[in-house]
Amino acid sequence: MPSSLTTPPDIDLIIEKKGGGGGGDVPPAGRNGGGGDDGKKRPDKPNSPGRYYTGIAIAIVAVLMFFMALASAFLVRRGGGDWTPVHIPTLLWLNTIVLLMSSATLEMARGRLAQSDSVGFKRFWLATTILGVIFLLGQVVAWRVLVRQGIYLASNPASSFFYIFTGAHGLHLLGGVCALVYVARKNYEKGMVTRTVAVDVASYYWHFMDALWLFLLALMWIGK
Amino acid sequence: MSIVTHNEGGNGSPARKRGLFSRIFTTGHKTIGLQYLWLSLASVLVGMVLSTLLRVHSSWPDTAIPFLSGFDSVTERYAAVRLLHGSLMVFFVLTAAPQLGLGNFLLPLQIGAEEMAFPGLNRLSLWLTVASLGGMAASFFGPMPMGIDVWLVSAGAFSLAALLSALNFCVTTIELRTTGMTLSRMPVTAWAWFVNAILSLLIFSVLLAGSSAILSDRLLGSNFFSSTALSAGEPLNLVRLGGSAVLWQRLFWYFAQAQVYVAMLPCFGIVTHVIATFCRKPVWKERLVVMAMCGVGVVGFCVWGYHMFATGMNPYAPLVFAVLASSLGVPAAFLLASWLGTLWNARMEFTTSALFAVGFVSLFIAGGLSGIFLARHDLSHAAVSEDFVIGHFHLVMGVAATFAILAGLFFWFPKLFGVRLNESLGKTHFWLTFAGVYCIFMPMHWLGLLTQSNLLPQAERVALASAGGAIRSVVTVATISTVAAQLLFIANFCTSLLRWRSGEVDNPWHASTLEWALASPVPEKNFEGHKPVIYRGAYELAGKALKSFAPQHIAPELLERKSVVI
Repeated sequence: MPSSLTTPPDIDLIIEKKGGGGGGDVPPAGRNGGGGDDGKKRPDKPNSPGRYYTGIAIAIVAVLMFFMALASAFLVRRGGGDWTPVHIPTLLWLNTIVLLMSSATLEMARGRLAQSDSVGFKRFWLATTILGVIFLLGQVVAWRVLVRQGIYLASNPASSFFYIFTGAHGLHLLGGVCALVYVARKNYEKGMVTRTVAVDVASYYWHFMDALWLFLLALMWIGK
Repeated sequence: MSIVTHNEGGNGSPARKRGLFSRIFTTGHKTIGLQYLWLSLASVLVGMVLSTLLRVHSSWPDTAIPFLSGFDSVTERYAAVRLLHGSLMVFFVLTAAPQLGLGNFLLPLQIGAEEMAFPGLNRLSLWLTVASLGGMAASFFGPMPMGIDVWLVSAGAFSLAALLSALNFCVTTIELRTTGMTLSRMPVTAWAWFVNAILSLLIFSVLLAGSSAILSDRLLGSNFFSSTALSAGEPLNLVRLGGSAVLWQRLFWYFAQAQVYVAMLPCFGIVTHVIATFCRKPVWKERLVVMAMCGVGVVGFCVWGYHMFATGMNPYAPLVFAVLASSLGVPAAFLLASWLGTLWNARMEFTTSALFAVGFVSLFIAGGLSGIFLARHDLSHAAVSEDFVIGHFHLVMGVAATFAILAGLFFWFPKLFGVRLNESLGKTHFWLTFAGVYCIFMPMHWLGLLTQSNLLPQAERVALASAGGAIRSVVTVATISTVAAQLLFIANFCTSLLRWRSGEVDNPWHASTLEWALASPVPEKNFEGHKPVIYRGAYELAGKALKSFAPQHIAPELLERKSVVI
């Protein structure tokens, strides 16, 4: 028994044999068959990678909810009388191709990492980062195209939604680019996270950003 | 079996070596939990003073209110006082204290973890919360249109902080449970924090989206919610806007609807835990309680989701909403049944903590009863005024949740500070508060029914309205005395802290969950690298003998050897 754990010194411990909530003295693996986590050995290392995978999954749910709230506002607001649809600039489709390509290069980078090809991994990782930056720059250029057409954030509800969807997605993707750079430059010698874990987590987020963009584009295109 | 004395491994000496800066901006979950609790304490005191001012103003409108004189005659300032009272209480007390305060401190201890999953994020969300509190307080003093912007930025910051905390709570509960701590062996409190974190994750992202969009409307002139009504220059009370702000109202109120459950869920957990411990009985139908809490989360979210996507498209909307909203009564009834089932035939030890927990159950029933009236949508314009709604809402959400927080505070005070709160002072405080809140909110219900009796003839209505003035004064006097009674709590709190570690035992309530396996107050490194092993459920409390129980971390064979059957 670890020294920091105490039993109550001055009282008698009693196991209630009858009644009492079920399962008096069941060994650790006995009780919760349905839980499914009994058999799973929890790693004793304080910084097990599980938390990063769970963390990114939950973060993705939260980000998704943020965009779903905006999407539902979009759907409701569309019914208003002052809705003037925004024509999506052609450049956006090119940007979409760039973003899809970045997801592909990201997967190639992970493939190289799995083969322990560090140089190839770095090359594809860099390509992904550059494609991400190109996408972001492309979005800014698309905004400028719209501004030149006289469509501003304040012009009408549809343009407001166009700018907030692209803007919020761009901000989240900028976070993704930062994550890519961080993962590439991090020193894994002294850190508690292995490179594989960091790469996995960053790539899950990146692919999610990719899928989210497709959803937003479809929403703006179909829903206009 | 060694017993740790209080001086050993306490957080005194190592903490003192570090600088003040690193002690304040720490990533330690215990310090962060305490910091949230201090934040809540400050907010609740200011919030109570504000509510007293509001009551005084509504009873005796001519009274000049000290340091707010000049404000009380302006409608906007009056609305601003209400907004400040509401935001302090809802965000920084009801959301922060039971979940972020007690939860941050106790969740890792209860599930056998050394720390939260992401300590850095935890610190970030604490300081975002502090910034948000500062912003909301500042928004009150700023000029009106800017004040609203500052309030919205602060609400956004609070949402972000709540999201980060929720993420942390989820990952901690999923990933960091110690060996043998299966989901079904988790204490109900840990379950409540977990379910609540999931619900917060979903609804605070909505508030964040809503407040970013409305801020963009106000500052950048975009048109999410309206094209005219919300331009930056106009000092408008947001809630009172007409049809053009329906969308904002939708985003906000559906957040607010689920927010009620975010405030209540951890309280359900705390009350269940405290009642079982003092009844010396297992939680009656523990699994059902957990299911009911999950049910509250799921239905709370569905009500919101339904509103977000379906109203305005579907002519049957009110009906579906009514069914969904009423179905929340089902898990609530299960919870109530479990509390009463645990209390049934129990020889309860009526400590202050237990009294507050039972007080919570009483308020929950009383508030639930008036809720039945309010669920009738046709009642709202016929016979009930704002007072009825305020009475109902405060009784069930505000006061009941506060009772649960106090029950938790009295219960875990030895864990937090290594010393018990004074019981006789605590009991006096409980009875004064308990009587006080009924004297405030019951007449308020009555007032609500009286003043809007549109169906009565004119003469009777005038007579009733004059009776309303007297009731209003009763409410105000009750408010002042109840607020004054809280001084007892402050005195208790301060004197108890001064009696720092004077021969307390580690587990004064003979509780069986893992946090009580540690010394009180908790050593800086929770389990000091020794991973506790969990052998049984959280509430193996024997029925007959008052102090008999089986702690979760004692191996069965050790327990057998030690046990003496009375």
